[in-house]
Amino acid sequence: MNRDRTRDAVFLLPGLAWLVIFFAVPLAIIFVVSLGSRDQFGGVVLDTLGFQNYLRALEPDFLPTIANSLRYAALTTIFSIAIAYPIAYWISRYGGRRKTLLLILVMLPFWTSWVIRTYAWMTILRDNGVVNGILQGLGITGAPIALLNTDLAVVLGMTYGFLPFAILPLYVSIDRLDPSLVAAARDLYAGGRAAFWHVTLPLTMPGVIAAALLTFIPAIGDFVTPDLLGGAQTITIAKVIQSLFLSSKDWPFGAALGFLLIVTTVVATVGTLRILRREVIG
Amino acid sequence: MSDHDRVPVPSGTLARRLAEERLTRRRFLGRLAAVGAGGAMVPLLAACGAGATASPTAAPTATATGTPGPTTSSPSAEPTPAPTPEGELYVYNYADYIGEDAIPSFEKKYGVKVTYDPFDTYETMTAKISGGNSGYDVTFATSVDVPGFLARNLVQPLDLSLIPNRVNLAPEWQDPGYDPGNKSSMPYMWWTTGFAYDTEKIKEELTSWAALWDARWKGKMAMLDDYREAFGAALIRLGYSVNTTSDAELDEALALLQEQKPLLRTYTTDDIGVLSSGDVWLSHAWGSDVYQVVAERPSVKYVIPAEGGIRGSDAMVLLAGAKHPVAANLFINHMLDAQVSAANTNFIGYMGPNAAAREFIDPAILDDPTVNPDKAAIEKLQELLDLGPDLQKYQERWTKLRAGA
Repeated sequence: MNRDRTRDAVFLLPGLAWLVIFFAVPLAIIFVVSLGSRDQFGGVVLDTLGFQNYLRALEPDFLPTIANSLRYAALTTIFSIAIAYPIAYWISRYGGRRKTLLLILVMLPFWTSWVIRTYAWMTILRDNGVVNGILQGLGITGAPIALLNTDLAVVLGMTYGFLPFAILPLYVSIDRLDPSLVAAARDLYAGGRAAFWHVTLPLTMPGVIAAALLTFIPAIGDFVTPDLLGGAQTITIAKVIQSLFLSSKDWPFGAALGFLLIVTTVVATVGTLRILRREVIG
Repeated sequence: MSDHDRVPVPSGTLARRLAEERLTRRRFLGRLAAVGAGGAMVPLLAACGAGATASPTAAPTATATGTPGPTTSSPSAEPTPAPTPEGELYVYNYADYIGEDAIPSFEKKYGVKVTYDPFDTYETMTAKISGGNSGYDVTFATSVDVPGFLARNLVQPLDLSLIPNRVNLAPEWQDPGYDPGNKSSMPYMWWTTGFAYDTEKIKEELTSWAALWDARWKGKMAMLDDYREAFGAALIRLGYSVNTTSDAELDEALALLQEQKPLLRTYTTDDIGVLSSGDVWLSHAWGSDVYQVVAERPSVKYVIPAEGGIRGSDAMVLLAGAKHPVAANLFINHMLDAQVSAANTNFIGYMGPNAAAREFIDPAILDDPTVNPDKAAIEKLQELLDLGPDLQKYQERWTKLRAGA
């Protein structure tokens, strides 16, 4: 028994060490920095530690920003899952021998730089870009439509970027589904839609939850897409944090906002998982 | 037992088993995707302007080799006795902010291998050198930052015996306010800030900063994503100094900028990109950037507004902890060479502080008021100065402006 225990501990050690060194320690550093203040050159001063940065973070000035971040992340998650589910379903059911190839094709864009792909969207959505060029060429519109620097562009870019995050967990979940269960539902006079709603969807719900989390969490922290595709009004909390670290060099305040973001995300995630696990899996 | 596998009703055990197995697979793939995402989450990139679309005329090649000897204002002077530079040099600069032949001519002349790295944003550079040990020897700092860098020991004084070409500098650049006697920096290029607009889209003549607050151009305007510049524009419009530290004046400027925000399409440092593409008809812009826009879109016109604009410069600095100080000083000297400086100006379209270089600069550039405004226009320009701890007043209001509604 004891030998098993020590063996388990040894196996856990690398993972635990990784977690401590690369997550717990940096989190602690961020917390300590967030209690400090900045000196005139933008360095961090830790002489007097206090919670003044957190009080500042809770000022109403930042509410529109937080609302923006939540809105983009939520929309991105919803659209990603809505698009990813049919794709994952199709690959699983009808992929046949080419399943692996199709999955590789899904992952392939990730081998290109995220930033370059976002830049590509800029070229497509600009006033004299591809979309406007086509619309004007076909005579559908007279003047260019402002597509870039809008909410639409940001959600589009983020959905595009996070789609593989959504497709893979959904694929795994759908692939595990026993087709005989669906067949049984059909035998019991369920139509296609009813079979989907009562059998497939509930059984693949863990996959949907995983996809939602894997999309929402990075989406709320993405500052590249709103920066490149967004406009003056599409500011997100991630962009504010980036700006505080780099332009304003107010590291303590940026750390406070970052810490709040991390804590909120972790608490929300754990809470959601707990509730859903209880209700869905039973 | 076998019934458990056959009954198509998700019982507790079966569902749990399915769920557990799914979780394992899912977690693995999820982690794989997260690692992929972690790698794909490339940190910041802000579009830095300066696409090399300038139309250079025949740039004079910098092959002038001055004779060693008396260092009067000859076009290129050599330090005496002949120095022995280290074999390598690391330079860190804005993208497309140097002439084509400046580095190759330096490499040939001194036999030094130069590694020239561009940075995408100024903040990237300051973040990198703030850590010390950046690995670079020379970089290009905005002049207003030079006193701060000196105070933080990020840059070290130059060896002026290796920089005899400094006599080429125009008199007003020999003893600038930010670095008396040019002991720790040498001016590189100077520029102005105003605004630019597409005369084809906006048919009237615009002369005032008020144009950037005009609701008629809603959604077609951009401001620079730079808090000193943005507040500078508002403060000039209100008739205050761009270096004010008065809370009342700054609050007024903030209110003005908040009024403007809903009318803007974007805040950007890529004024070249947004003007060239036509996304934006009217933009807060740096004059020499507009020189590059005009190459792509000739209808764009640059204006130094009637109320005034901003003047600034970049300076070459020697980083503290530089491993190749002799080569670095010689490089700075090389950039002050009249013909090298002129070639740089001809290529990137910025004016240099080099009086001796004027005879080699493309006359089209000398006559171009966006790059080389006349004395009357220069009088109206204010220079940004180092504000020390009061800079926080600007930064806090900028965060409020960007984060707010």
